This record gives sequence, structure tokens and C-alpha cells, in this order.
Amino acid sequence: MSEDLCAALANRQLPNGGWSALSSSAQASLEASALACVALVPDSGCIGDRETNFLLNVQNPNGSWPAFVGDDHLGSWTTSLVLIALRSVAEASGQRLQAGEWLIRSAGKESSWFWKWKFLTTDRHVRFDPDKFGWSWLPDTNSWIVPTAFAILALTQPGAESSKVSKRRVELGIQMLLDRCCPGGGWNAGNGIVYGCPMAPHPDDTAIALLALSSYSREPIAKTSVYWLACVAPRLSAPWSLAWSILALAAHQRPVDSLMQRLSGWPRLDEVEDNSTLAVSCLALDPPRTLARFGIAP
Amino acid sequence: MTISRRDLLLGTGALAAGASVSVPYFLPRYRQDRRPRRSRVAILRMDDYVQSIQDSLRRGLQLFRLDVKGKTVVLKPNLVDYIPGNAINTHPILVVAAAECFRELGARKVIVAEGPGHQRDTQLVLCESGYESLLRENRIRFIDLNRDELTAANLSAEYSGLQRLWLPRTILGADLLVSMPKVKTHHWSGVTLSMKNMFGVVPGNKYGWPKNILHWHGIQESILDLCATVPIHFVIADAIMCMEGNGPLNGSPRWLGCVVLADDPVGGDATCARIMGLEPDRVPHIYEAAKFLGNSSPDLVEQIGEFARKPEVPFRVVPEFEFLHSAG
Repeated sequence: MSEDLCAALANRQLPNGGWSALSSSAQASLEASALACVALVPDSGCIGDRETNFLLNVQNPNGSWPAFVGDDHLGSWTTSLVLIALRSVAEASGQRLQAGEWLIRSAGKESSWFWKWKFLTTDRHVRFDPDKFGWSWLPDTNSWIVPTAFAILALTQPGAESSKVSKRRVELGIQMLLDRCCPGGGWNAGNGIVYGCPMAPHPDDTAIALLALSSYSREPIAKTSVYWLACVAPRLSAPWSLAWSILALAAHQRPVDSLMQRLSGWPRLDEVEDNSTLAVSCLALDPPRTLARFGIAP
Repeated sequence: MTISRRDLLLGTGALAAGASVSVPYFLPRYRQDRRPRRSRVAILRMDDYVQSIQDSLRRGLQLFRLDVKGKTVVLKPNLVDYIPGNAINTHPILVVAAAECFRELGARKVIVAEGPGHQRDTQLVLCESGYESLLRENRIRFIDLNRDELTAANLSAEYSGLQRLWLPRTILGADLLVSMPKVKTHHWSGVTLSMKNMFGVVPGNKYGWPKNILHWHGIQESILDLCATVPIHFVIADAIMCMEGNGPLNGSPRWLGCVVLADDPVGGDATCARIMGLEPDRVPHIYEAAKFLGNSSPDLVEQIGEFARKPEVPFRVVPEFEFLHSAG
């Protein structure tokens, strides 16, 4: 099944070497491309020349990557995913360094003293501690769970630059994830309590946050969230959330065989229109290999 | 009194400086006045989400004599997230009924398109909210606007300062864009009706989940810029089971038992606000949109269905929006 899925994913590669978000489109998306590259890495551990050239050709002058080909050059959350995809490409070390520096410079808007003051004093309907900030989807906006989790994974890759500043940013990012957890465990986009009302977690956001917290399994918030995800995963009705859940639960040493069986038996999975879903499904059918590619120690 | 040349120069300079600062505040922030001379709104009584609402909807749409023959119709429901028991999303039975009606009217293509603003797993929201099976059974195509192909669009108004947004080709290519909101109160914008519903066309893949850039540039302002740029041609608002209080996700269900049709989003939203017991002119984006996008005054809105009645008890809102309730 995994081979069939990977073949379907490979068939959807665009002539420029990237992948579009939806199979009906010809506009390369950096999320879909980076995930497809990681999913199709051969056992030798390095993505192909065509894919490498595509990723390097679309890098922004400031070191970041755009959300899609043709996007503005300001940078986006996909930079972290591309860094993970390029982790073993020796000839991309200069570009990786530049991207890493961009990532370390980028921060959620609440990190500035003025907005921090606003969120601490006048704008308090969403419960969060603005001293604990991470990464945003695009510059000049707040930190959110998914871009923060991917940035943590990118900056803690084996071989990634590990300066004092980088370590400090990763530590703050982890604190931010723990701060923005939903009251009963798990995460959504990043709002745990709004107007005094506890918000519901999402399986995919929870799973991605837990991948970034794979070294924090003993942390009570991580434990509660793993438990919540293990309870909801068997009943999930969409492959994207199920695939991310498999990877997160495997990273936290939970059994995933029955979930993998369910995913591999998913009707017409190779026909799913969303290329990122197809790529993550390929990745979820071989968790040990995937976790290694994400730089997550078993 | 004599005025020296120096005084005259100083006075002229001060006047010019004052004008350069203050004039922009008095100039309109929109480029085009698109208000129709009169708008038409119909309130159709529908008690529940049952298959027969298609007949009522068909009769309601006939009142508007829409010409959709050979056109691509895009239905944009409000599909945000799924929380069991919460009336968050436009009901799929109403969306499918609308799709069937537009097919009967001769549309070349009917597409349902949405980019959920809270939940990244669009397929999960579609499955859990009952959309996926109904769309499949009725062979209706769904496009995930969070991941659609994007084109840069210069904004046709200047309220938010955003100037340009990347927007999905499905939306920009629609011949008839139908906004299908769930009638709800909203803790950031007061109400979420057909104009606020357009936040869903802003792509998550580019702008994230939630679409935080719109919050930073002002929710009311972003609604105006979006609706000036992407015209809503028709409104079908789901006001059967609504939401009041802490919307858009965690409010309480509130039954109104009707569907509101409108050929003008401002007229439609103003009518919805009235049947919620709220003052439309106190909703900042409805008030401002009535200057260039449509009509909110009852004098300019022809009611062709049931009359818009104020409820005995108005919809509850969060404390910051208590001013939407009329005094007394």
C-alpha cells in the first residue's frame, strides 16, 4: 500500500519539480512539495537532484521560503518544512544556514514590548502568556501552534546550527506550546481559552505539537495530550488527521499498528485531491523511518 | 489690519499642512459606489432542515428572477469547525438544496467552496458536519479554498491598509458568488453574516489558521475591503437554527426558523441583524458598507417575503457588543 501511495504521489510531481496543494492545480505549494520530498526520500537518505533544485530555486533572497511559487518574498511558515526536507543535502548547507538565521530572527508579533503590553493589559479575551512566543504563519502576525512546532523541529534537526540564540528560541517555543494547550489536553490553532470558554482541541494540531514535544513525554501536558489523541485517533474520519496522529503517537511510544491498518485500508486514498494529505499518509505508513527523517530520536 | 508677506506664507503653509493631514480622513476609502437603486430581500419561513426545504427555496429564488443559465455558480457556506451540538456551520441540507436549485435554473457548473478558518483538516470538518456524504450523493464538487490556486488581487477599498491579497481562482472566476452564512453573533465582529462570511475565501495556506492578518488589519476594515474586491452577488442565509452569545464557535443555539435571501449583501445582512434584534447601523461594517456596497435602510430594501420582525428577546451578544441592542 505504501509503495502504491508513494507512486501516486510521485506521479503528481509538477514539471518544475514541486507539488501543488491540490492535484487540480499547477501552482507549486511549498508545504506539499516539502512533505512529498520527505516522503519520497530513498533509503540513501537524500532527496533527488530535481527536487533539490526546485527547492533551492524558489528560496527567497532573505533565506526564507514562500508559501507557494509566485508568492511575495517576505517568507512563510513553510521555511521550516523545507529545512527538514533539505537536512541531508550537503550542497544546500549555505542555503540551510541562511534559512536557519531567518527562522531565528522571525517571531510572533506578540514578542514586541508594545503588543506584549497590550495583550497583558487591555486585550485579554484570549488566555495566553505573550512572554512565551513562537513562530507565525507569515511575518507581522501572532505565534500559532503549527508554525511553532515545525520551527522547533527544523531548528533541532541533527546538524542544524545550535547557537545560544537558537536554543533560547527553541526553549521559548516549547514554553509557548505548553502555555497554549487546551484545558483538557491537546491543541487547536493556538487558542486554549477564549472569553473564559475552553476551546476544543484538533487532532492534527495536537499531533504536530506532540512531534515537537517528543523529548518531553514526561511533561504532564504532553502526557494528557497523548492520552487525548490516543482516545480520538481510532475514530477519526479523515486521513490527514489520522496520519499525523500515527506519527505523534509513535514518537511518544504508543502502539500504532491498528491505526496504520486503518489508514492503509482507507478507501481511494491514492485518489485524494490534497497532495499534502497523500504525502503525510505515505509518511505515516512507516513511522520509524519518518521520525528519523524529521530528526526525532526513537 | 495688514498681513505681511511672511504672515501670508506662514498661514498658507499651515493650512496646507493641516489639509494634508486631515483630508484623507474625509475622502471615501472605496473606489466605486456599487449600491443598487433598490435591493430585494425575502424571508422564507422554514422550520427545520428537511429535504422539502428545496421546494421552498426554489419558490423563493423564483422571486428574484436570477439569470444563471450557462454560468458558474459558487456557493460559499460558513464552515468553520465542528463541535457536536453547536450550530456553527451552514447546514449541508440547505447548501445541497441551493445547489440543486441553481442546477435547475440552468447553471453550467455549481461548486461549493470554503476555506475553514479554524480547522486545518478540511476533510474532517466536511465529514463530521455531514457535508461529505451529501455532496458526494448529489455529485457536487467541493473546493478547499485554503489550498486552491492563488492569484494576487489589488483590493478595491482602503479600509484595512492591506492593499493586496492572494485570493483563490475559484472565487475570482465565479460568475455568481452566493454567500451562505450561518446567522450568528461573533465575539470579535458583533455578527457573522454574508459579508463576514467572506473571510473564508482568504487562503489558509498563505495566511494561516486562523487568518490572523485580517485581525491585525482590523476585522471590520478587512470585511469591507474583501467585499469591495470580491462582490457577493446573492445571499442565502441560514437562519433556521442560529447561534447567539459567544459565537462563532461556543455560543448557544437559537431557533429563528427562516432562510433569508437577498440580491444585496448589505440589505441581506441588515435584515438578518433586524431579525436578531440588533441595530444594523450599529454594526460597523454594515454601517460603512451601506455607503458604497448596498442598502441597509428599510426604505431602500424591498421585502418580498415575510416581513422582518424584531424578536421579543434579542440575540445575546458578548459585553463588548451590547451597543448593538437598541435602547429600550
